[in-house]
Amino acid sequence: MKVKFFGNIRDITRIKEIQIKGAANVGQLLRELCDEYGKAFRDKVFRGNEITGEVIILVNGRNVYFTGGIDTALNKDDEVSIFPIVAGG
Amino acid sequence: MFGWTGTVLRVNLSDGTIKKEAINTKDASSYIGARGLATKIMMNEVDPKVDPLSPENKLIFMTGPLTGTFAPTSGRYVVVSKAPLTGTIGSSNSGGHFGPELKFAGYDGIIFEGKSEKPVYLWIHDDLVELRSAEHLWGKNVFETTDEILKETADDARVACIGPAGEKMVLFATVMNDKHRAAGRSGMGTVMGSKNLKAVAVKGSKSVEVARTDDFLAACRDARKKLKEHPVTGNGLPTYGTEILINVVNQVGALPTRNWRDGGVYEYAEDISGETLREKYLVRNKACFGCPIGCGRVTRVPEGRFKGFGEGPEYEPGWAYGASCGVRDLAAICKANFICNELGLDPITMGTTIACAMELYEKGIISREIAGMDLRFGNADAIVELTRLTGMREGFGERLAMGSYRMAESFGHPELSMSVKKQEMPAYDGRGAQGMGLEYATSNRGGCHVRGYMTSPEILGIPEKLDPLVTTDKAAWLKTFQDLTAVVDSAGICLFTTFAIGLPEISSMLRDAVGFDASNEEILKAGERIWNLERLFNIAAGFTSEDDTLPPRLLKEPMPSGPAKGKVVELEKMLPEYYSVRGWNEEGIPTEEKLAELSI
Amino acid sequence: MSKILTISPDKCIGCRSCELICSFGKMQAFNPKSSRVSVLAFEDMAVSVPIMCMQCEDPSCMKVCPVSAITRTIDGTVLIDDDRCIGCKMCVSACPLGNISFSTAEGKVVKCDLCGGEPKCVEYCPSGAIQYKEATPSNLSRKKLIAERFKELFGEVNQ
Repeated sequence: MKVKFFGNIRDITRIKEIQIKGAANVGQLLRELCDEYGKAFRDKVFRGNEITGEVIILVNGRNVYFTGGIDTALNKDDEVSIFPIVAGG
Repeated sequence: MFGWTGTVLRVNLSDGTIKKEAINTKDASSYIGARGLATKIMMNEVDPKVDPLSPENKLIFMTGPLTGTFAPTSGRYVVVSKAPLTGTIGSSNSGGHFGPELKFAGYDGIIFEGKSEKPVYLWIHDDLVELRSAEHLWGKNVFETTDEILKETADDARVACIGPAGEKMVLFATVMNDKHRAAGRSGMGTVMGSKNLKAVAVKGSKSVEVARTDDFLAACRDARKKLKEHPVTGNGLPTYGTEILINVVNQVGALPTRNWRDGGVYEYAEDISGETLREKYLVRNKACFGCPIGCGRVTRVPEGRFKGFGEGPEYEPGWAYGASCGVRDLAAICKANFICNELGLDPITMGTTIACAMELYEKGIISREIAGMDLRFGNADAIVELTRLTGMREGFGERLAMGSYRMAESFGHPELSMSVKKQEMPAYDGRGAQGMGLEYATSNRGGCHVRGYMTSPEILGIPEKLDPLVTTDKAAWLKTFQDLTAVVDSAGICLFTTFAIGLPEISSMLRDAVGFDASNEEILKAGERIWNLERLFNIAAGFTSEDDTLPPRLLKEPMPSGPAKGKVVELEKMLPEYYSVRGWNEEGIPTEEKLAELSI
Repeated sequence: MSKILTISPDKCIGCRSCELICSFGKMQAFNPKSSRVSVLAFEDMAVSVPIMCMQCEDPSCMKVCPVSAITRTIDGTVLIDDDRCIGCKMCVSACPLGNISFSTAEGKVVKCDLCGGEPKCVEYCPSGAIQYKEATPSNLSRKKLIAERFKELFGEVNQ
């Protein structure tokens, strides 16, 4: 699946998007990404086992908050977007 | 007085008289200030049926009790009048440094009446207040006008003025202050132009005092700390500006594309995003007066045919000229936005009016002869050229100067104008964010996002997450957001503070500044009072519940693709619920009980 | 060694919070024109610079004062004695950086006194553009450099 990074998450990943294989759900995907990008990434996305309020995680444009959080299932054609919490107007 | 200077200027442009009046303290406390107080003055003094561009309409500049104080983002003032684009109450606020300077000169606001025979500007230097000839400034753009007035008055004065668009009464002209800051929507610059008032310049050396100094400082310190620590106001906005929203709104499928025809997913969003702006054209960030956030963008396009230097674009112009016109060249978007600032145009209405013309062109309704150019979506040169032509009211710009509704109507297709009450909607597709759809339909100044920013809970998850695709509870949330926004706009601070602080912090600063003891609930109630008063103005102007609607595209054409695919705005479900939570009858008119409860 | 105020124009966002809090600290009211720190904006270069008394080693203001109302303390702070000051404003003219001014609101000559060692502008600057640090050879030379740059910008000639 395709994973896209935005805003200052890119300062951590140094890349705009990557392809990931095999993660069955959002939690698993995020843990894989933590292994790849280290502590700065982990601190941004996880507080304990929960997703922090500092990121917005979308699967195919839907906030995972509404689809089961870290248990949201993933398929190989899914697109995951990871944003820092942002706002404007 | 505390929080207030206590004096309002009344300037009669017809006979040139200038009076200093004591502020109405009862109204100031019932309606908080700025937006609320100016609306109350409009209601007291102006017939809502007035022709907006006639001398009988009034134009009010007003600050709030927190303007010019240490409250974070205290740089704001509002311009209120009857709006020429919509015919509703018009109110538009702006940051920069002009508002506080007016208070430092000793005035809470200025009421302009009548119409000057010849172009004039108002010069205020503490106790000296005089009208000066502006005949030599007529025709000059915002930057030239500002520089010239600074030379004639004082180099550290602050100037609010109109550009050629306001003079020529383009229906969506802005009042520009400090060159780059705009009271952008509602056509307040158009009203200013109709009165032959080119500018207001002010320099002040007096003090703004607050009632409970120690408590006020503590409240401000608390608010500033929260703004600094919040990821949005402490990091996201300073680093990327409001353009950071492009990608997230696009990913949730709510970024209106090609005049909202192609749905909410724009394939070139990344090219016009805040991330790209930062990488390519950002010089540095800049703050308005008293603002610890600093979301402003100083930008430079260093070379090429769109070369330029200025401020912006914000998210809205970035979208209006970008996704909405199908343009992916960020340099062209920057340039078009710079021209809006120079000529004094609202870039939301400008960009989306061009987008509307592009759809009419692709449908074969507008010919190449009429447009004078290839007007297919994606033409980067067209957005720049048409902005200039509209501001100068030349060529095809003459047609665009009416805004999209009147323009599309003149070609027999008003349904293709993506507007509410004839003002163009901004950058969130209500089909992908239901609460925003309801917000547009009910905003007191027509299509507008900053009267109850439901995007915040629906897309950004602040202060909590609401599912954007459902209608449940949206009416009640929207009411609270609209009332709170009325409080913020009337206090004299920036709406962006509300990403990090809320009613308790804002109420606390208000109480200690003015020295009253109203509870948080009573202050929110004042916001509701302001909202209802605006509604009463519109009703008296002739608006009915039939006007609380959306373009047919949002109600009937299902979203073609993306996460919100298949959705329309379920307005018929939300609107009756909204009237009910507002305490209005089925026609959307505030009931006697509601008005009594609000002491209107 | 004593502490000095250092400024980083590259960090200044031009919000003037320093002017607000300075005036509030001195007169319990908000009045940027009476502030001891002023933010100068150079729009064409997109630069804003907060400036205040540099607490000169050899202060011109002190030298011209006819009644010796201006003194320099052991730790290097240049202070005005309001009781002695006769309001002649010679010091205002003498300061090559324009950092002493006459406050109309207070009716007296004013300058930065470092808030007695806890400068408010430093405490509330949202971007860290004003800092109060131990004077080290490196930041002293930086301070000097910035002072020189001001003089260039204002086209003024040093004493």
